[in-house]
Amino acid sequence: MNVLSLLGRNLTQGPYTEPFPFGPAPTAKRFRGRVTFDAATCEGCKICERVCPAGAIRFSKAKDGLAFAVWHNSCVFCGNCEFHCPTGSVHQTTDWHLAHEQARKYAMVEFGLIPNQTCSECGATALATAPSLRGIAPPLSAEEAVTLKSLCPKCRARFLKARRAKP
Amino acid sequence: MSTVPETYTIPVGPLHVALEEPMYFRIDVHGETVTHVDINAGHVHRGIEYLTTKRTMLQNVVLTERICSLCSNSHPETFAMAAEQIAGIAIPERAAMLRVVAAEVKRIASNLFNVALLAHLVGYETLFMHVMQVREIAQDIKETVFGNRMDLGAICIGGVRYDLDEETTGFLVAALDRLVPEIEAIVATYRTNGSILGRTRDVGVLTREQGLACGVVGPVARASGIAYDVRAVAPYAAYDRLPLEVHVLTDGDVWSRAMIRLAEALTAIDLIRACLRDLPDGPTRLAETPDIPPGRAIAKSEAPRGELIYYLKTNDNPQPERVKWRVPTFMNWDALRFMLADAKIADIAIIVNSIDPCVSCTER
Ligand code: SF4
Ligand code: SF4
Repeated sequence: MNVLSLLGRNLTQGPYTEPFPFGPAPTAKRFRGRVTFDAATCEGCKICERVCPAGAIRFSKAKDGLAFAVWHNSCVFCGNCEFHCPTGSVHQTTDWHLAHEQARKYAMVEFGLIPNQTCSECGATALATAPSLRGIAPPLSAEEAVTLKSLCPKCRARFLKARRAKP
Repeated sequence: MSTVPETYTIPVGPLHVALEEPMYFRIDVHGETVTHVDINAGHVHRGIEYLTTKRTMLQNVVLTERICSLCSNSHPETFAMAAEQIAGIAIPERAAMLRVVAAEVKRIASNLFNVALLAHLVGYETLFMHVMQVREIAQDIKETVFGNRMDLGAICIGGVRYDLDEETTGFLVAALDRLVPEIEAIVATYRTNGSILGRTRDVGVLTREQGLACGVVGPVARASGIAYDVRAVAPYAAYDRLPLEVHVLTDGDVWSRAMIRLAEALTAIDLIRACLRDLPDGPTRLAETPDIPPGRAIAKSEAPRGELIYYLKTNDNPQPERVKWRVPTFMNWDALRFMLADAKIADIAIIVNSIDPCVSCTER
């Protein structure tokens, strides 16, 4: 490689760098960026909290349910949470725009809440987690899924047992 | 009239403009010639070895990936190999191939990085920037296929975390096709360019005997005529069924080490292509995340810098009882005493760079 031909090539091709922030910076589809959480599909198994090496994910008991928090400034973007999550409720987006002012550093958190509900069967107060559907055969109908979700853990177990017993 | 003494001691490092890593050398010189070298380590100790015993096995796959940025894939891979050995697990064939793909992509980027730095230290900035730009192709592969420019997150205990689909395979193939002519042109430049040859030929020589005495590994060993490559002598993943070529040169100078790295980058491309050709369908990991029973194991792999060894001891806890690793730089920096003997002061940085030191994983 001749330096002159290299210079010529660079002159005709223009800069290799992206014009960001004056133009868009292309981001790969698989880029592992900011973590998001979807409370509606979460089973509340807390596997993500256990496997997170950075301690960025925290579940805590709240008055009205189970609170989820992921601290973006503690997160190391490893994707362990998403990889081990059985439902895909915790997910890494391609968003890497996480630069922020120092004053906002404690606001770089995503919160979520799995609310409490009153069991439609026994009236007990329990978390409205998404029921674990793996291994349930035959698969639940949409109606059954809604019913199952409205139950407390004990009534869910009873519901599934009764369903299995059905001929 | 005052006289300047002919013999004096100069400190090089731990923070030094020409050193990429924090190492401290106390160098006795006579005139411009090095007469004695003292290597002082421990400037970036972070206590990671201790930390691994406070983290679960699943967390440690991520933690070990962050010991070192350039060999970041080799650490979790070897850690997972040790864990799989304890549990008696064989990973699926597709996973074995995908592990090779991840490891070799890292090798291309790591080797090009070191060769680029050599140009920088020689003072040939145009070439430095050009090689870094070529390396950027490998960086794009990592970002597109794995989702991150350094930490691939490719490994899990029992297999791999990523898979190749049509789109990522297409990108990978196209990027490799672009890399080959670029790397071949870089090889030709390093073979013929006067500035490079003048500063690297017969500089920092390590003879085969000295290399064996120090137990050097990786490209440093192979540039001194020692044909030792873990991928060939103790194949893991899928290396025993791939066309692996072990490159050996005999001059043992800075130039030979750079040429070995470039040749291995090209071989890495051949290996990835062979994997893509033979990639079988099937699972990429075990169906269930395996539990690791109590036990002990040693695993080793060929990181871009050379042989990486992991010792893992587990007990009934989710955390390992002990994790210890021996990194290639630990063996190679000992050889600096031989390479730097009788060197010129101006060549110190070039010689130190030629072992591709990774102090962050050596001092963890
Ligand atoms: S986000 Fe996933 S891993 Fe975390 S608690 Fe919910 S279902 Fe479990
Ligand atoms: S990406 Fe990694 S560090 Fe971030 S929240 Fe998930 S597990 Fe924790």
